[in-house]
Amino acid sequence: MNPADYPVTKKNWEELSRTTWAFHPNTRQQLADYPINDDGSAIKVFMYNAVGGSTIHWAAHVPRFHPSDFRVKTLDGVADDWPISYWDLEPYYDQNDVMMGCSGIHGDPANPERSPRQMPPLPLGPDGQRMAAAFDRLGWHWWPSDNHVNSQSYKGRDACNNCGPNVWGCNRKAKASVDVTYLPEAIDYGAEVRAGSTVFDIATDTAGRATGVRYYDTAGEAHFQAAKAVIVACNAVGTARMLLHSASASHPQGLANTSGLVGKNLMFHVYANAVGLFAESAPTYKGAIANIIMSQEFYETDPARGFVRGYSLQMARSSGPATTAIANASWGSAHHQNFAEHFGKSTNLGIIGEDLPVQSNRVTLEPQQCDRFGIPIPRVEYKLDGNSTRLLTHGVQQAKTALLEAGAQRVIEKPHSVNAGWHLMGTARMGDDPARSVVNAYGQAHDVDNLFVVDGSVFVTSAGVNPTPTIQALALRTADFICNERTDLK
Amino acid sequence: MSTATLTETQRQVMPAVMDRLIPAVEALLGAGAMGLLEEVERLTAEHDRYGRALVQFLEALSDVMSSAENENFPALDGAQQDQAIQKIEQALPQNFATVLEVVCLAYYNEPKVHVRIDWHGGAPQPAGFALPPFDAALLDTARQRPPFWRQD
Repeated sequence: MNPADYPVTKKNWEELSRTTWAFHPNTRQQLADYPINDDGSAIKVFMYNAVGGSTIHWAAHVPRFHPSDFRVKTLDGVADDWPISYWDLEPYYDQNDVMMGCSGIHGDPANPERSPRQMPPLPLGPDGQRMAAAFDRLGWHWWPSDNHVNSQSYKGRDACNNCGPNVWGCNRKAKASVDVTYLPEAIDYGAEVRAGSTVFDIATDTAGRATGVRYYDTAGEAHFQAAKAVIVACNAVGTARMLLHSASASHPQGLANTSGLVGKNLMFHVYANAVGLFAESAPTYKGAIANIIMSQEFYETDPARGFVRGYSLQMARSSGPATTAIANASWGSAHHQNFAEHFGKSTNLGIIGEDLPVQSNRVTLEPQQCDRFGIPIPRVEYKLDGNSTRLLTHGVQQAKTALLEAGAQRVIEKPHSVNAGWHLMGTARMGDDPARSVVNAYGQAHDVDNLFVVDGSVFVTSAGVNPTPTIQALALRTADFICNERTDLK
Repeated sequence: MSTATLTETQRQVMPAVMDRLIPAVEALLGAGAMGLLEEVERLTAEHDRYGRALVQFLEALSDVMSSAENENFPALDGAQQDQAIQKIEQALPQNFATVLEVVCLAYYNEPKVHVRIDWHGGAPQPAGFALPPFDAALLDTARQRPPFWRQD
C-alpha cells in the first residue's frame, strides 16, 4: 500500500470510504478482492485484501480476552474450552504490544493487571469525558481503550493528530498496521514479499504433507513456490476457502479436514448500537472514530440476565457530513432538520457481543461462482441464535441508559447490525482432539504437520472484544513453536 | 468505471429529483438547482454500482410518469413530485437508497454547503485536530473499584 493514496489524504474521502475503500469486498471490487456470496448471512463479511491485510482497514482497538473467555465450557457449560489459557498467551500479548505500540493505561479492574503500556492513552475528548462521567454516576465500569494508535511518536512512526477516519488507512503511520510494524522487520530478517500474488492452492505430496503453494502473479501467470512449511493467514473466510479448495487425493475433503470442521463454526461478533443525540455538544467528529472508552460492566456471565457470556460497550464518534446524511437523514422537507440533529451531535455506543460457535454457521465453496482466476468463491451462511438476540436486547437497553445519563435528548436503538462482519473467527478451530478440531494448540494442522494457521480461524470461541491482538498473540506463539520445537522446518 | 450514461431527457429530470431529495434551505438552493448534476454524473461514471442504480431509478421514474396525467416530472408541483419518488422508494428501496447516497455525496462535498454547516471540508490530513494529553484524573472513580474479572 502507498499511504499517500489513503482516503484521509483526499478531499472526497467520504466517497472513497463507500466505494473503492468500502468494507465489503463486493462493493470495493479491487484487484486483490474476491467476491463473497453472503446472501445467506445475517451479518455481511468485511475484510481488506492487501499487504498488511485487514490491519490497513482496522480501527486498531486492542482489548484482550479475559481469562474466562478460554474456559466457557467449564464455567458456563457452552461451546468448548480452548486448549490454552489466558496465561499461556499473556507474554505474547505483551510482545505484540511492543511490536505494534500500545497507547493505554494499566490498572483496569475488569481485566488482569497488565504491563505498563508503551504510550499514554489517547485523550477522551469532550464527548468521551461526558460518557465516562455518565458511567461513573451509574457506578459502571469504564476504561480508556487500549489502542494500537500512537499517542506519541513510537519506533519512528508519528503520533496521531486526531483526524478521525483512520479506519480507512493512516498516512502518518500513527495507526499500527502490519505493513508498517512487523513486515519491515521481517524483511530486514530476510523475508520476501510478493505483493499482488494470489495463492490458489496448497500443494501436498502423496504422504499428505504440504510441499508449497501455487499462486498467480500480477500478470496472471501461475507459479509454484516450494516450502518446508506453509503458514496460512487468510482470515476465517479466506483460510477456509483455501483449505477446502486445496483438496487432493490424500485430502479428499479439503486440506486438514479429516474432522470435517474446516469452514464450520464461523463466528462474527454480534453487534447492536444505541445512538445518543445531544442538543448541545462540542463537535463529535473531532478525534478517532472509535477506540475511545469501553465499559465491560456486562462482560462476564450473569444468569439473571437471561443469556450466557456477555458483551462490551464501546463508544464511537460521528463522522463527516455525507456519511451522517446517508446513515441518518431522511429525504425531502425533513432532511435538513434531521441532518442538524445528528451532525456533530451524536455519540454511538456499540454492543459487541460474544458469538457462540454453531456448526451450521459456516463457509463453503460456491461451485457456480468463481473469482477472476476461476477459483470458487466462498459462500457464507450465518444466523443469529437466541442467546445472541437476548444479549443484544439487553445491551441496547444498557447503552440507552448510559446515553440518557450522559445527557442525550434522544436515543435511537439499532438492535442488530447487519453491516458488522469485521471479525472473522472459528472456521479452523484449535483443540487437543483431532476429531473435534482442525489445528492443535500451536496452530499446527492435526492432519498435516507442516501446515499452520495463524488467523482468527483457530478461535474456539469469540469472546466479546475485538480479536486482532489475540490473533497476533497466537501467531507469535506459533512462531515460537516453529522456531523452538520444529527445527526440522527451518 | 461505469458504462451507464444519462439520456438528455434524464439529465433534465434529475435536477428536479435532486431538489426534492435535498431541498433548498436558508440561502442555499436545492441539490439540483445548485448545479450538482455534473458531480452526480461523475460519481455514477466512476462507480458502477452508482451508475446502475441511477439509470434504473430514472427508468422506473419514467415508467411511473408514463402512467400519470402529466408525464413531465419537472412540471409537476412539489407534492406530486414527492408522490412519484415515493412510489419508487417503495418499489425499489435498495436502489432508491443508493441514489440518495449519490446525491448526498455530491451535496455534502460542496464548499457552499460546508460553510452553512460549519464543516472544515477538505482532506482530514494533514490538518487533523488538536491532541491534548490524556487527563489521568478522569480515572479517579474508576480506579477505586477492585478487580472484578472472573477468577473462578
